Amino acid sequence: MASVNAQIKRGSAELAVLTLLAEHPLHGYEIAKQIEEQTGGVLRFDMASLYPMLHRLERKSWVNAQWQTLPNGRRRRCYRLTASGRTQIAPLRAQWRAFFQALQRVTGFQNA
Amino acid sequence: MPDWKQIVRRKVRVLGICSPEFTEELAAHLEDTYEALRCEGLQAEVAFEHTVGQIEGRCRVWLVMRFLQEELMSGFIPKVAVPALLTSAAACFSHRALELDHIPHRVIWLVGGQLPLWWWCLLPICGALGALLSQRKGGSRLQGMAASLLPSAILCSLVLLIFVVGFTMSGFVNHYQLVSARLESLGIVPPGFGLVPAAFSLLGAGIAEVSTKTSRLA
Repeated sequence: MASVNAQIKRGSAELAVLTLLAEHPLHGYEIAKQIEEQTGGVLRFDMASLYPMLHRLERKSWVNAQWQTLPNGRRRRCYRLTASGRTQIAPLRAQWRAFFQALQRVTGFQNA
Repeated sequence: MPDWKQIVRRKVRVLGICSPEFTEELAAHLEDTYEALRCEGLQAEVAFEHTVGQIEGRCRVWLVMRFLQEELMSGFIPKVAVPALLTSAAACFSHRALELDHIPHRVIWLVGGQLPLWWWCLLPICGALGALLSQRKGGSRLQGMAASLLPSAILCSLVLLIFVVGFTMSGFVNHYQLVSARLESLGIVPPGFGLVPAAFSLLGAGIAEVSTKTSRLA
């Protein structure tokens, strides 16, 4: 599987995380795991890229985080999408759509 | 099961400026990673090595850098740039005002030049001012330090830039004397002019931080 350039990955990370959190709240490890699984390993987040980004989203009030105690007694910090974060998804999607369409016009590549 | 909190604390000690919450969050991530690897059938030692590798070497450097970058750049204008600008203005104003009053002063000699003693005494106050203004805007400890250091950092960068430009323009062996003379004619004394004030400003920021913490405890 081809690897993705770090700059592209960084740009797409926020959309990927917000979209995942729109479905249900998740903690950091689950977010990383689900993105890796759903993209077949193309997008993979290590701690250095995931947590600073989650904290940035939290500061922007796009997500909020709360400590929760799991059934096994362990504490995990769960991230939940806020109303403000939910409104960001559509513009981000539109930006990426425009980007891919422009790229398609230039390179002739087709989406699968 | 390894004590992941202890491991994270030891590995990212440099992030002492970050909250215990963040440490716990990273520890939880490592714990989950370790358990997943164990479930995949890896031996305990191998799983431990894989897991701990996420906060070692290059990964550790990246984590620290990304964290500091995020910490510093969030609300950069109100929490760092504006307090730094005011710090710089206060330092320049006090320098100019006391100079105009023709107050007799002792001077401190640095490499290649001199600066008045009273200005050194005022610098920690200016540094503390920057840090306090940053705190009032909700800035972190790191941002307070950056606010007090930014004027000196900009000055150092300018001095370096002038050196490089001077070197390129002069292009001969005695460029140092030539550039030094030019800088001194502009009132800029390399290299202590940037570094020593930075240390004094940082001292002020440290005092401001300690006094704020003390007043909170009281």
